[in-house]
Amino acid sequence: MATRVAVPDCVPRTGDEPAREACKTISEVLRKDLLFEEMTIVSDNLYKMLPPLKPDAPNFEDWKSVGAQVLVITKADVTAGVLNLELRLHHVASGDSMLARRFSNKADNPRYLAHQAADEILALANIRGVARSKIAFVSDRDQVKGKVAKEIYIMDYDGANPRRVTVNRSINMLPAWSPDGKAIAYISYRTGMPELFTAWIYEGRNTMFAAGRSGKVYAHSFSPDSKRMAYAFSPAAGKGSGDMDIWVANSDGTQPQRLTETAASDTAPTWSPTGREIAFTRSLSIGAPQIYVMDSEGLNQRRVSTIGTYNDGPAWNPAKEFTEIAYTSRLEGHFEVAVVDLTNGQTRQITQGRGNCEAPTWSPNGRHLAFCCENRGRWQIAVTDRMGRDVEILPSGPGDNKYPDWGPAATQ
Amino acid sequence: MIVLKNNPWMSVVARVAACVAMAVLFTGCPPKRGNAVSGPGTARPVEPGTGYGTAPGGSDVGAMQPDGGTGYNIDSPSPLADVNFEYDSAALTPAAMEILQRHALWFKDHPGVRATLQGHCDERGTVEYNLALGEQRSRAVYDYLTSVGVPGTRLSTMSFGKERPLVMGSGEESWAKNRRVHFDISG
Repeated sequence: MATRVAVPDCVPRTGDEPAREACKTISEVLRKDLLFEEMTIVSDNLYKMLPPLKPDAPNFEDWKSVGAQVLVITKADVTAGVLNLELRLHHVASGDSMLARRFSNKADNPRYLAHQAADEILALANIRGVARSKIAFVSDRDQVKGKVAKEIYIMDYDGANPRRVTVNRSINMLPAWSPDGKAIAYISYRTGMPELFTAWIYEGRNTMFAAGRSGKVYAHSFSPDSKRMAYAFSPAAGKGSGDMDIWVANSDGTQPQRLTETAASDTAPTWSPTGREIAFTRSLSIGAPQIYVMDSEGLNQRRVSTIGTYNDGPAWNPAKEFTEIAYTSRLEGHFEVAVVDLTNGQTRQITQGRGNCEAPTWSPNGRHLAFCCENRGRWQIAVTDRMGRDVEILPSGPGDNKYPDWGPAATQ
Repeated sequence: MIVLKNNPWMSVVARVAACVAMAVLFTGCPPKRGNAVSGPGTARPVEPGTGYGTAPGGSDVGAMQPDGGTGYNIDSPSPLADVNFEYDSAALTPAAMEILQRHALWFKDHPGVRATLQGHCDERGTVEYNLALGEQRSRAVYDYLTSVGVPGTRLSTMSFGKERPLVMGSGEESWAKNRRVHFDISG
């Protein structure tokens, strides 16, 4: 039976408005974070008749009476622009303390402290929380009529705090986080040709991928240790141009090595969590892409998608306990997200009846998927759990929002 | 590790997957701090830095420098007509070949002009597949033009996939116009 957690309202340590406001946000965000990982939270209807919580000396009999097994107490104050959050967990049956922490941060982002508290609580339940993770995506919200501008954005995993990463009013697409959270690599047409850039988002600089100078890079993925990049490459012109193959290089684009050499079109590489294998899309003929897997040296190439005539955009689940790959599949004229379990070849459909969906990406703990869906002519980012239950459209802001890439668990 | 005895989550975990869970537990749980509150945590939010512009709905990340891009959507004006394709195909139609024969003469009359063969797709299908398809369309045009005598050194291939449609709208009329190779001679 699931452990029942009570998360009563955060208590403002001082009665001032900033503390009350911060507390309100913290309670709301913390509960949502815990629900996202399927924690069982005691309904506040059950305990609103209880005497007021004394945060420093809770009456555990009260909390026992509403069926809570764990009591989460939060207290906050805002002092000189700094938000201090105190988090305490009690085992209700014994009254013992399970956890006591204090976090501080700039007062303008109480959501971050709530996310940090959530991740601490989830760790006790043996869940690697993703509440502080971010999702990169592409948005056309900056374009003016008659122009195309697609910029890379990042947002919190719940859609809050969208921020623009690129500002060049060109086409920027396919963002891919480095697993260490330091950088986002993306394809940009700012020079007129597709080029792979890396945005070092905390340093405010861009670098160009060296191996892209002799041709075009169209899709790419960092290795789990962030040191290498797998990418689809087509020479600039001449012999071999037009035929994409999978290559691997250092993450700065030095020492490129070709992994596939067929006449088929190979693209969309994604690494296994160990870094020992790479999945990719191979089109033996136009209109019939399929998902393949190979060793990271290019050997043992084999098809792993078993259903459907059109499968593209693989994303390998980064959690080692789930050996599976999400991808986009054409099913009866629609595009849907599906997952193939590599241990038994079984496929499950994740999206249904939401218009066209594509570009799946896993949460860093492998428990959730994000992707983009077109509904009534507008593309938006959606998330769901790894079985496809409870699909939620994220409030990712205006415009078409596409091609999400879910970053690592705790970015700085 | 007080959490071992009194953590109601751990009893479940321990039953389900003892060894693995324990390994994670020892690294995943903070040490007991009793009721004492530890000092200030090390929370560090993402710093928005000093962007020079403000994005709608949020601030910019870091101090990304503008790079001179001006934004575009309609194809650059070109004396060479687009070549169109069937759905899910990079094969040249008879009509396309007729156009390309005229283009070959134009290249002969304009020595020194270089062209980028920009492959495009309609909106249907996935992003990576369409990038590959646009690249194949570009290559098909490259192959034809070089086969009728245009030097390959004057041509480069590339794809926009489905990212830069010529016309908006969903329907065969729009899609047919968007499945194209455009001849960019502006570079």
